[in-house]
Amino acid sequence: MLLEIIRFELNYRKKRPATYIYFAIIFLLCFFYATSKYVVIGGGAGGQLKENSPYNIAQVMAIMTYAMTFITSAMMGVPILRDFEHKTESLMFSTPVSKFDYLFGRFIGSFIVTVLIFCAVWLALMLGFAVGKHLPWEPSWYAKELLPFNFWHYIQPFLTLALTNIFIQAAIYFAAGTLSRQTIVIYLQGIVLLVLYQIAGTILGDIENKPLAAMLDPFGFQAFDNYTEYWTPAQKNTQLVPLQGVLLWNRLVWMGVAVLILAGTYFGFSFSVVRKSWRKTKAVVAEKARFNPESIRIPLVQQILTSGSYLKMMWKQAIFYAKTTMKDVPFIGIVGVGLINLIVSAFYFGKMYGTSSYPITANVLGLLGEFDIFFFVIIVFYSGELIWRERAVSMNLIMDALPIPDWVNLAAKFIAMLLLYTGILLVLILMGMAVQTAMGYYNYEVGLYFKSLFTSTMSFLVAYTLLAFFVQVMANSKFVGYALMFLFFIVMITMGAMGIRHPLVVFNSGGLGDYSDMNRFGHFFARFSWLKLYWFGFVAVLFVLAVVFAVRGTDSILQTRLRLGRNRLTRPILVTAFAALILTIGTGFFVYYNTNKLNDYYTSEEREQRQVDYEKTLKQYERVPQPKIVESNLKVEIYPSTRDFTAEGFYWLKNKTAKSLADVHIQEAIQNDVETDYLRFGNGGAKVNKEWKKFGYTIYRLAKPLAPGDSVKMEFKVNFTTKGFTSGGGNTDIVNNGTFFNNGYFPSLGYEEGGELSSDDLRRKYKLPEKERMMEQDDPRGLSQNLFGDDADYIRFKMVIGTAPDQTAIAPGYLKKEWTENGRRYFDYEMDVPMVNFYSIVSARYEVKRDVWKNSNGQPVKLEIYYNKGHEYNLDKMMTSMKKALTYYSKNYAPFQFRQMRIMEFPRYSSFAQSFANTVPFSEGIGFIQKISDPDEDLDMPFYVTAHEVAHQWWGHQVPEASVKGNAMLSESQSQYSALMVMKQSFPPEIMQKFLKYEMDSYLGGRSSESKKEQPMALTEGQQYIHYRKASVIMYALQDYIGEDKVNAALRTFLAEWKYPGPDSKNKRYPTSRDLIGYFRAETPDSLKYLINDWFETITLYENKATEATYVKKNDKQYEVTLKFTSEMFRADSAGNERPLPLNTQWFDVGVYGKNKDGEDKLLYLQKHKVTKKENTVKVMVSEKPTKAGIDPINKLIDRHPDDNTKSVSEAGGENS
Amino acid sequence: MQLVIENLDKVYPNGVHALNDVNLTINQGMFGLLGPNGAGKSSLMRTIATLQEPDSGSIRLGDIDVLIQKDEVRKTLGYLPQEFGVYPKVDAETLLDHLAVLKGITNRSERKETVKALLQKTNLYDARKKNLGGYSGGMKQRFGIAQALLANPQLIIVDEPTAGLDPAERNRFLNLLSELGENTIVILSTHIVDDVKELCSDMAIFNQGQVLYHGSPQKALGAIVGKIWEKRVPKADLETLRTTHTVISEKLVGGMPVVHVLSDTNPGEGFEAIEGDLEDVYFSYIFSSKGAEYQST
Repeated sequence: MLLEIIRFELNYRKKRPATYIYFAIIFLLCFFYATSKYVVIGGGAGGQLKENSPYNIAQVMAIMTYAMTFITSAMMGVPILRDFEHKTESLMFSTPVSKFDYLFGRFIGSFIVTVLIFCAVWLALMLGFAVGKHLPWEPSWYAKELLPFNFWHYIQPFLTLALTNIFIQAAIYFAAGTLSRQTIVIYLQGIVLLVLYQIAGTILGDIENKPLAAMLDPFGFQAFDNYTEYWTPAQKNTQLVPLQGVLLWNRLVWMGVAVLILAGTYFGFSFSVVRKSWRKTKAVVAEKARFNPESIRIPLVQQILTSGSYLKMMWKQAIFYAKTTMKDVPFIGIVGVGLINLIVSAFYFGKMYGTSSYPITANVLGLLGEFDIFFFVIIVFYSGELIWRERAVSMNLIMDALPIPDWVNLAAKFIAMLLLYTGILLVLILMGMAVQTAMGYYNYEVGLYFKSLFTSTMSFLVAYTLLAFFVQVMANSKFVGYALMFLFFIVMITMGAMGIRHPLVVFNSGGLGDYSDMNRFGHFFARFSWLKLYWFGFVAVLFVLAVVFAVRGTDSILQTRLRLGRNRLTRPILVTAFAALILTIGTGFFVYYNTNKLNDYYTSEEREQRQVDYEKTLKQYERVPQPKIVESNLKVEIYPSTRDFTAEGFYWLKNKTAKSLADVHIQEAIQNDVETDYLRFGNGGAKVNKEWKKFGYTIYRLAKPLAPGDSVKMEFKVNFTTKGFTSGGGNTDIVNNGTFFNNGYFPSLGYEEGGELSSDDLRRKYKLPEKERMMEQDDPRGLSQNLFGDDADYIRFKMVIGTAPDQTAIAPGYLKKEWTENGRRYFDYEMDVPMVNFYSIVSARYEVKRDVWKNSNGQPVKLEIYYNKGHEYNLDKMMTSMKKALTYYSKNYAPFQFRQMRIMEFPRYSSFAQSFANTVPFSEGIGFIQKISDPDEDLDMPFYVTAHEVAHQWWGHQVPEASVKGNAMLSESQSQYSALMVMKQSFPPEIMQKFLKYEMDSYLGGRSSESKKEQPMALTEGQQYIHYRKASVIMYALQDYIGEDKVNAALRTFLAEWKYPGPDSKNKRYPTSRDLIGYFRAETPDSLKYLINDWFETITLYENKATEATYVKKNDKQYEVTLKFTSEMFRADSAGNERPLPLNTQWFDVGVYGKNKDGEDKLLYLQKHKVTKKENTVKVMVSEKPTKAGIDPINKLIDRHPDDNTKSVSEAGGENS
Repeated sequence: MQLVIENLDKVYPNGVHALNDVNLTINQGMFGLLGPNGAGKSSLMRTIATLQEPDSGSIRLGDIDVLIQKDEVRKTLGYLPQEFGVYPKVDAETLLDHLAVLKGITNRSERKETVKALLQKTNLYDARKKNLGGYSGGMKQRFGIAQALLANPQLIIVDEPTAGLDPAERNRFLNLLSELGENTIVILSTHIVDDVKELCSDMAIFNQGQVLYHGSPQKALGAIVGKIWEKRVPKADLETLRTTHTVISEKLVGGMPVVHVLSDTNPGEGFEAIEGDLEDVYFSYIFSSKGAEYQST
């Protein structure tokens, strides 16, 4: 019988067009993923990772089974449900089929078909990768060699990931459909799964929770990520992802859950037509009245059908729809699940290194933004539900014959949606304030909540709702409508991927931008308003069309509806349509005028093409010798209210070469939309020799060639003028409050390599040769210029800044004078020591916190923090950090070169801090609103960032490094080390260990997604995961192994010999990492010299593992611990291919832990032991009862499994007796 | 007021000729539209009720062009579709009140009164607080008529209202219909002959999209006087009888077929003349190929 039912199910599915449509959807998506540039699934491949690598195929499988969950739900939810929908359940139930056969026959049948449908994934990928190069269009991997075809690479992930995923989902959907007997419940299941996935993603942010998150995700995706997070590109290209470890557990747990669900379905399913209601129906008794129906006369009533009464009807209808929807269980379900998701996210609010942010309203708004996905679900589902409300209960003919105008019903449905949205938004606001309250933050900005949610969010809701209405009306089939909406999203995403991003074509474009406490909504509001008007007009047109073509009565053929529509074009409808159309066209023109006439609009491909052209045209001048800037003296006028500035003044350019220079090449900052008013040399007389307006590149022929050692004055005036608004968000450097830009806005000298395309994938696309990211360490050109560019070595600096009277403007140097003139405020800054050619210009309404730090000579250094009012939270920590940092660095490295140190807050459009000479602009998004709730648990981010940036005053500003590979090891890595040393003085060891754990995780994760090649520390080429993250780990280990004093001694000597380096210095060049490593090596004892090579010059990984730990109690004061462990070392190449390394002689920590009185871990023993082979046994004596023991227990070395380094200690012989 | 239907024609995309040159003039009073399932009655009703477009033809209600001035028709229309549902989780009083607003009864007290009267009239008053999901078929049908009667409609269209009702409910329902004012056009479609017999002063027999007969029931009865013959026959003889005579109905009485045939003269062979009733009229039009001839007599 079971087989019969399975066969029936298969036959049924065979005849359904949906089966083939689903297959086609998946097949085409995957096929175009494999063969085109525009369909992206996962986005993992590219760079080093091959598109047909087993890792990528597995990832695509996992994503497809997750993203296409709606297909699984449509397939698996209905096998039983459809008997109820077609009212054939009585027929089925009266046959002699057993419940088991009926349920599982249907389940198995549909499951087989679903699996067959999903076979489209690997079929399409196989085909796509096979024929991709022979198609009329180019795949993204066109210029790349793919891996040879391997059938098992497709099948293994399908079996381990896809099949299990489909089974798990199938069980859930089947249970939901069968037990609820409601279609919508099936669709909502998908949302619950999605939320589980999201929650798993959220808590994954906390490093401690990785295993939990990996288990929680029913799609196994987090587990997959977790299992492969440290895989190198080479591993991903060659190895299948095995069903092991956390991935295996995840699959087992969820398969188990699925089986339980199926069992539950079997027992919960009632094999009868009528079932007992779970809830008791409330018996409603109306008062009985005695009357005789015949004698009742129906009173005459007045029928009022005016526009006033139509409005009243609309309102009544709207309330009616809203009320019934609100009571809808699925609706409550979506909203509830969405809120739960928010609550979970709230726990992980703005975490960085496990530290939270203050729940300022701007941040909470970001959190509430997570509800948007649920809004999407509500829009799509409930637009459909409401449009079909009457027809679903077959009350449509009654409704349609009522004397109400065509628009009333649709308008009422729309208003009902608005009412629901308003309700949800109010709940969200309450929720936001509750989150704030729960976190002890009481500065409720209710106005801001309303301003943001009821403008930006509401307009998004309005636009998408009216679109969905239109789609539902025109499609005239609920499910086709849903599918079309889904298709719409895919088209939108694809358009984005193709670089079509003009706001006039990207539906509902015009975001309000990030809210910044400093700059508020800033200039985003104007663009937002115009675009929203434009889209409102557009959707209003759609709405009118929907009214005109909506089905009223039984004529549902589009042709008839179009014909009927003509009769519906009443005056008010026409007037509305015209008004909406005029609004759309009018605002559309205005937007176009702003984005394309006042400003330039480029698609991303045009932008790339311009970069290509730039390189092809001007690369020839890259090595033409240029004079160097030796002085910058500018007057900068900032106009914050209009977001403009002008800069006028001069550079002195000096010919430092041995030959005279006839030409000066000027690159204007046109990428920043800066225009040049004039630019002249000396007393004029320089002629334009050649000019490329498109690139802002001009070659000037000087009146007479500049002799070696001579200088010429270059006078210029440039302006940045904001005109209207742009297609993108617009410039966020020059803003109403919180302007921060640097000399990148001013003219520079010669060809700008930074203007080239850098990604290898993009370069291949434009048939450009791949290129190195940085110059080699022995490249003389690289050695003669520093990391701040080749325009200058050191400069004399003077700047006058004018700004609005209520703002403070700051540049490097010391304030000489401050005055007011013509209602503007002026600041005159001058630097009195040489500084690098890198300076910031900042202007905002600031509060100032001041303090003084005295250097070792007792000379005062003024400390200032310029901050936005209200952001006082961490000022003390930052101030303390500055003082401690200045003390440590000036004591251990060299004196501080300035008499003043300033930190300035800038808006959160970017999240970084940056060190300029005696000034550090610091984003409000990091540090200023960070919350350190528990100093024993949370890392003090403001403290760390401040210490790092202060360290740059030495590493970068006292010793700028050569612009060659490995450069960041001198500035960033040493700043990172410096900050760690200051933190070590101030924080408990647990915090340091936690910080380093995050750093190691970031390094291992970073190398896993390296797109070109992983470099050893000494050759890092702009790879943050190396020069920050790996550097933290190995520099910390270095000072642990050879001693902090030794490291500092090396740094001190290095700095002394390389202070203010450059072609003019005694070394005649800038230093490289090799120079610094020499100093480290010199300070390292011979027994440990191998470390320098292992850590800095090669990529070395350790694999330490405790295998057994026992102890024997000798007496109360003596416990002998025996630890067995294995040690291995690996050397990786730049792609991540590893080979085992002989250990030779290594020194590893052996540690034993006990518990202190509070039950916390405490180190009883920590000593370096000599290790020469893989299998090891050591015995150590401790004086208290040991609990844990391990090898490298503090994870000082780079190890991909840091958690297996320690093991609990058990009493020896315990098991034997 | 008069409802004039002229040359109404409608062919569905699947080829079914639902309305085939329909011409009817309907006066105030009860009008019965009699026809088998699938005859096109509902199509005609929906077309009159502004819910469906004909391919050609015209309908006029007094001065109103029904096909164009739909809003005008809807103002005076009460419509009960053949099959309809209601919101299961809403009670009758609430929904009726809601529909009353949509019919333009915006005055609250008027509305309250009229809703109450209609609920009483349809004998739903005691169940007015009960969710409509819990209503029986008859109650739901009565609710349907209650909503059709909102705002004193001048044109009431009830499509197969008695289908699926038990005899008692059907009686109650017909009583209710019969009370509707004489100033109203009430069009009742049904395939049950008795509905028409008991209620209507005017009727049409409708099949395959065509009007086969239009006139009063009495006149229709008059036309078949002396032409209906009855005979009890063994089952085995049925087949031959069908070929030799115009059989208009076959019924089992006590397990034995009783056939009615239509014939101007006595067919002999044991047939007895009977006084035909409306059902015979109906069947004679539906099953007799000569039906059209009798229309003129």
